[in-house]
Amino acid sequence: GCLRAVMAAAPPPSAPGGPEPPAAPPLQYSMLLQHLVGEQRRPRAWDPATLGGIPSPPKSEEQKMVERAMESCAFKAALACVGGFVLGGAFGVFTAGIDTNVGFDPKDPYRTPTAKEVLKDMGQRGISYAKNFAIVGAMFSCTECVVESYRGKSDWKNSVISGCITGGAIGFRAGLKAGVIGCGGFAAFSAAIDYYLR
Amino acid sequence: MTQACHRKCVPPHYKDAELSKGESVCLDRCVAKYLEVHERMGKKLTELSLQDEELLRRMQQGTGTA
Repeated sequence: GCLRAVMAAAPPPSAPGGPEPPAAPPLQYSMLLQHLVGEQRRPRAWDPATLGGIPSPPKSEEQKMVERAMESCAFKAALACVGGFVLGGAFGVFTAGIDTNVGFDPKDPYRTPTAKEVLKDMGQRGISYAKNFAIVGAMFSCTECVVESYRGKSDWKNSVISGCITGGAIGFRAGLKAGVIGCGGFAAFSAAIDYYLR
Repeated sequence: MTQACHRKCVPPHYKDAELSKGESVCLDRCVAKYLEVHERMGKKLTELSLQDEELLRRMQQGTGTA
């Protein structure tokens, strides 16, 4: 209704009887559009501090860059890698502590191992567990981040899909069937963890 | 735009105060699409209104000389 009134108020009919009719002035409708969405719209200075209703201090460029870096997939994967390394190391040393085979010398099975041998064995085992955990953690975190960025949603399916990819990739080195089992197992494990965390 | 993108991208499960990565990616895309659609529609509407203008001018010239 509003637009029709504007169109009706459009240019008065040109005066008859001139050698040539004067050019009709442009429609008010099209002038309105030019000013709203077309060539002649005025640039507005949006103040980012007040956008969003609640005024907050504007973020500096460095702060934005740091926040973007911390939210990136690479940073999350690196964080998971380091965390996995530490956790794997602790886990390896712990399991070596309760394992009776540590320091076992195949040449002389009845000799009690020296403290140095035991420590060396525990260290090696801890390092190997740590590397495995670090790789698995980094892979899982990276795939989960990529899947979440692709889907644009954040729900339980992200961890299940990335668990399947990670488990499948790890198990695939031992054959196709191991890959499928690894996919299913790891997906179920990460779904359980997700359920517990949410 | 805020309402539309919030409705599309942020499901009402409020477990965490921060926007998750998926949600912020979705919001980026939503805003970019909204602005692009706005621009295209503006261009199309101004084009249509120019055509209307031309038509009206021709009608007036027609009635003026008739």
